[in-house]
Amino acid sequence: MDSLLDIRNLSLVFDTFDGTYHAIDDVSLSLKPGEALGLVGETGCGKSVLTRAAFGLVPSPPARITQGSVKLDGMELLGLTDRALRQVRGRQVAMIFQDPMTYLNPVFKVGTQLVDAIRAQHGGAIDRKAAREIALDMLEKVHLPNPLRQFNSYPHELSGGMRQRILIAMALAARPKLLIADEPTTALDVTIQAQILDLMAELVDDMNLSMIMISHDLGVVAQVCSRVAVMYAGKIVEDAPIREIFETPVHPYTKGLLGALPHPFRPADDLESIPGNLPDLLDPPPGCRFAGRCTFRRPECDAPIPLAEIAPRHSVACVLRPGAVTPAVAATKDLNHA
Amino acid sequence: MLEIDNLKVHFPVASGQTVRAVDGVTLTLSAGETMGLVGESGSGKSTVGKAALRLVPSTSGAIRIGDLDVTKARGPQMRKLRSRAQMVFQDPHSSLNPRMTIRRAVAEGLILNTSLRGRALNEKVAGMLESMGLPAQFHDRFPHELSGGQKQRVCIARALALDPDLLVLDEPTSALDVSVQAQILRVLRRLHEARPEMTQLFISHNLAVVRFLCQTVAVMYLGRIVEMGSVSRVFDAPAHPYTRALLSAVPVPEAKRRPDRIRLQGDIPSPTALPKGCAFHTRCPIAKKGVCNVEEPPEIGLEDGRVVRCHFALGPAPE
Ligand SMILES: Nc1ncnc2c1ncn2[C@@H]1O[C@H](COP(=O)(O)OP(=O)(O)OP(=O)(O)O)[C@@H](O)[C@H]1O
Ligand SMILES: Nc1ncnc2c1ncn2[C@@H]1O[C@H](COP(=O)(O)OP(=O)(O)OP(=O)(O)O)[C@@H](O)[C@H]1O
Ligand code: SF4
Ligand SMILES: [Mg+2]
Ligand SMILES: [Mg+2]
Repeated sequence: MDSLLDIRNLSLVFDTFDGTYHAIDDVSLSLKPGEALGLVGETGCGKSVLTRAAFGLVPSPPARITQGSVKLDGMELLGLTDRALRQVRGRQVAMIFQDPMTYLNPVFKVGTQLVDAIRAQHGGAIDRKAAREIALDMLEKVHLPNPLRQFNSYPHELSGGMRQRILIAMALAARPKLLIADEPTTALDVTIQAQILDLMAELVDDMNLSMIMISHDLGVVAQVCSRVAVMYAGKIVEDAPIREIFETPVHPYTKGLLGALPHPFRPADDLESIPGNLPDLLDPPPGCRFAGRCTFRRPECDAPIPLAEIAPRHSVACVLRPGAVTPAVAATKDLNHA
Repeated sequence: MLEIDNLKVHFPVASGQTVRAVDGVTLTLSAGETMGLVGESGSGKSTVGKAALRLVPSTSGAIRIGDLDVTKARGPQMRKLRSRAQMVFQDPHSSLNPRMTIRRAVAEGLILNTSLRGRALNEKVAGMLESMGLPAQFHDRFPHELSGGQKQRVCIARALALDPDLLVLDEPTSALDVSVQAQILRVLRRLHEARPEMTQLFISHNLAVVRFLCQTVAVMYLGRIVEMGSVSRVFDAPAHPYTRALLSAVPVPEAKRRPDRIRLQGDIPSPTALPKGCAFHTRCPIAKKGVCNVEEPPEIGLEDGRVVRCHFALGPAPE
């Protein structure tokens, strides 16, 4: 099947007072229709910048895309005018974020905002009454209790979970093909988070929606996504079906992330913490960006290592991947065995 | 070590109503115990922690730390309380003075509460920071020169410098990345081994973290403890329907979706208008009309030492 979203070799830098900050480096990522992908990695690794830059949402300057292409349904997005990009975002791609309050205007009723948003999605081609119908229909779809009453509420009268449902309704009213959800449940309680994750999984299935869900919690991603891409310091280091990420992770960073997670039902004696810090992306290392913190580091790690397939749908950027064993590595192995 | 008896903390709010943030909490921590305090946002966890250190006034009830009566402490007893019980907060950024080196931050409490000065003081401060994995080259840095995890370790070092009997940690890892969280959790684990007599109250909404660190756990819902007992019993065989729902909603780091999820309908009610009867009855999957919405459930003790506040803690309602 053809990809819905196809990001190829995308690189982005920020021009800052201190120099050029290499925030996204040669990232390739593609998504099939109906697929739900989780994008994970520690804070500052570039998850939000990557997904926003793809749809023209990172202001330039200071950002500068230095190479690559982003295709949505075969159409190249890089280089489109702001107006054309706004149309893509309004109709084909929808986004929701961590804090719904930031995206709701506190002085207007929820219903008014929904109706306005839906009319904007249609370029003003429908009247308020029709927009209201769509809005109420969507509120039902996101299982908001008592939609008519919530329609006349102000945002502050609603709980965090209800607000997030309203934003999901707003985002999906245009029947987009792709939903980008940037930490959509981070601010919510465990039981409310579970409700929203259930809802997202249901919508992906029912509306044949593709989704990229950004999270730093692999457990959250596992509730909704079938595939995970792990990002580290502006690069994707591993991309695989969720089962393989948990059961046969290859990249040491992926393994580190998994080892750092406490499990609620399997008490552990200890956790792993990944020592060290992110590399300085004003002057990134030429090879593996994780090398400075990696316990498996060897000389080959300091040369560029591309993301390459090790099995169908499973790619890794690490010298440890099966098949990437260079003679030098083989030699050290022999030494260890001797 | 810490005894809280029928604690109530009510806040008057602008509309003339009252927020019953804590509404009859009773708990006991023995010396060296690490208890997790979990529950939904707004259930009163932080308020319990703050009341225990008298950072908020209690409306009624009694709190004792060792032989110290917290609610009645005055003058010298207040000083004693300040050095014996310490709290670490969620946000390490706002807990540290940006214009103070971290060496100063740790020294301050010692200067105020002890007679340590000069070289002895310096050595104590350096030792505390080093025990938290912050070697000498960090000691003259300002907070903005440290990462979030490093700042949180400074806060823990500062709290421990006074060698408190009780340490209250309020979501100390919630603002941190998983790998940094793991680092702090390991520090706390080792702390427990190094100072087995220190009592810890660990407030968190992350149940996996509580499982890793704590021996006992108390689950709060709308200002009350609904279930309390050993971590292994509560997690493996929850007796209160809220605990069951909460545990079933926890995202588990495994490849499969959780099939066993109990779906709670609705949102947590407003703390200014608590439901009558059992406060959980508006969302409870097993609530029984005529019982749960009328009568407050009593505290029921189970054989394994657990305390549960539910009419049906011992089994479902007969049909
Ligand atoms: N306008 C900007 N100018 C300079 N640097 C920026 C700008 N916006 C983002 N960055 C940097 O780009 C990097 C990636 O940021 P991004 O927000 O994508 O991280 P993230 O993975 O989404 O993190 P989080 O989990 O904290 O949301 C960060 O180091 C950030 O500081
Ligand atoms: N100073 C105050 N004045 C009025 N209401 C307050 C005050 N402090 C807390 N509350 C209210 O008391 C209730 C309990 O708050 P508390 O902060 O203890 O909850 P919590 O369980 O710690 O929640 P969270 O997980 O969000 O930190 C909430 O409804 C809160 O709004
Ligand atoms: S007392 Fe009733 S409403 Fe409350 S938790 Fe038990 S069954 Fe549910
Ligand atoms: Mg982000
Ligand atoms: Mg709190």
